[in-house]
Amino acid sequence: MRPRFGLILIIYIAFAVIILFFVTPFLWLFLAAVDPQAKAFIHVPERPTLENFRLLFSDFGFGTALGNSFLVATSTMFLTVVVVAFASYTLSRWDVRGKGGLMYGLLLLQTMPLSATMVPIYGLARTLGLRNSYLGLVLIHATIELPFLIWVMKGFFDSVPRALEEAAWMDGRSRARSLLEIVLPVAAPGLAVVAGLSFLAAWSEVLLVLILVDNENMKTVPLKFYETFRTQGGYVEVRYEVVAAMALLYLVPVLLLFLLTRRYLVRGIFGGTRGA
Amino acid sequence: MQPTRFYVAGLSPALLLLCIFFIGPGLWAVYASFTNMALVGPAAAHASFVGLQNYAHLLRDSAFRQSVGNSLLFVIGSAVIGQFLFGLGLALLLEYTEQAGIAGGNLVYAAVLLAWVSPVLISGFLWTAMFDYYYGTLNMLRVALDMQPINWLGNQAMLAVIIANIWRGTAFTMMVFLSGLKTIPREIYEAARMDGSSAWDRFRDMTVPSLAPIALIVLLNITIATFGAFALILTLTNGGPGLKTEVISLYAYHTAFSSYQIGYGSTIAVAMLALNLVFAIAYLAMLRPSTRSGES
Repeated sequence: MRPRFGLILIIYIAFAVIILFFVTPFLWLFLAAVDPQAKAFIHVPERPTLENFRLLFSDFGFGTALGNSFLVATSTMFLTVVVVAFASYTLSRWDVRGKGGLMYGLLLLQTMPLSATMVPIYGLARTLGLRNSYLGLVLIHATIELPFLIWVMKGFFDSVPRALEEAAWMDGRSRARSLLEIVLPVAAPGLAVVAGLSFLAAWSEVLLVLILVDNENMKTVPLKFYETFRTQGGYVEVRYEVVAAMALLYLVPVLLLFLLTRRYLVRGIFGGTRGA
Repeated sequence: MQPTRFYVAGLSPALLLLCIFFIGPGLWAVYASFTNMALVGPAAAHASFVGLQNYAHLLRDSAFRQSVGNSLLFVIGSAVIGQFLFGLGLALLLEYTEQAGIAGGNLVYAAVLLAWVSPVLISGFLWTAMFDYYYGTLNMLRVALDMQPINWLGNQAMLAVIIANIWRGTAFTMMVFLSGLKTIPREIYEAARMDGSSAWDRFRDMTVPSLAPIALIVLLNITIATFGAFALILTLTNGGPGLKTEVISLYAYHTAFSSYQIGYGSTIAVAMLALNLVFAIAYLAMLRPSTRSGES
């Protein structure tokens, strides 16, 4: 039964309003990034240029920040994938007492906001000498995502039939070899989700770098972005054109990664029921 | 290798990391909350134990009380009312249009999702521009419609951060409700329609009951996420003007890093973790039955 014309009209008006609400800020961003005179309002530049991007690299040291971010995010990703793969495989297969409690403990940790633990993380990192250190950033970034990603990955391992590896054990393969050669290839989409999410988290995250890094050469993209946007906490005139260009470069890897892994990501996110 | 030894080895790196960098800071916060640890002044060199002094101060601290109130307002406005109702409405709209064969829903879905996947800092930046008093797109629009411009990040700061957070986070609620709606078999609706029940009856008798259990989980989930919000408000208002949008997380941060009182900042962090724990336990209790059945 086709709905009435009037209803369809109302629905399309609603669609248009919703899309405008969500997309207008991004539209402004794309226009501002190529406009050397960008202001806070939407304005199509007469002559779009890449001048803003050139400025980022010549005057704002953005190249170093990009390098740092890629280094931290990829290292975090590799560390997370390895640690999560072993831990969640174990939690999927090991029938040990207290496992249920451990899984709930992980969920509980996952609900603890980083914004509440950032002050003590600062204190701890200072004590351990992990401020202004790539190692510190990687270890802490990896750890804060562990509870959620272990839940996600355990779901993937749970869906791999045990018979597969039991056959491999019969053939005399060790647990480690059967995990690497039999189970992991089947659970590869799960590993892709874990890799994607851990990269995204480490790439986007700003709270930790805000408190852990003040060495100019170690600043990552989000920190550089924040400091250029809010110069030394001064809430004064924003250089919209420069910050917009920065925002775009900060955003592009996120969007690319999300588009590439979208189907798996959404499935993975709901496997672990994670908040906004 | 023995299976048990393999399993222990498999789990220990994760547990080690969690103990050092997750549970460690929690314990450190409790420890620091009993000291006068500071980043400047005499206490910076030699912190000493002050017993329950920080907690006594917390109870008398009007700024802390205000930050708790701001957090509640922010959570209720942007999560419980905003994201929840808007997300639910979007899910129902998208499901209806898909079933009725009205095209374009996937564009709406993508637009809502775009805001959600973007880093929070970028949301803060985009809305700083949107809300700008003199040049912002919102006020330009208002002036064009012959309305007075609004000082969004001044007089209406709380409303502004709530709008920005609804924009940023609605996708999650929408996605969860959409996947919930997909689990309702269409045949049931068809059968009910054959029996002559109205659209409203079908909504009330079938849609609402099947969404109710996930609604609670969604609510708690977005409440926890919004309670911990930090970077969005940091970039939009930094808690201002005055303390108008200073939520608990920002108050802890400012106390520790702008007033340099690590000890008292940790006390606020402990209080925040305790409040969060209440939500978290309710959340886990809700999840329990479904997770259990999935485990066996």
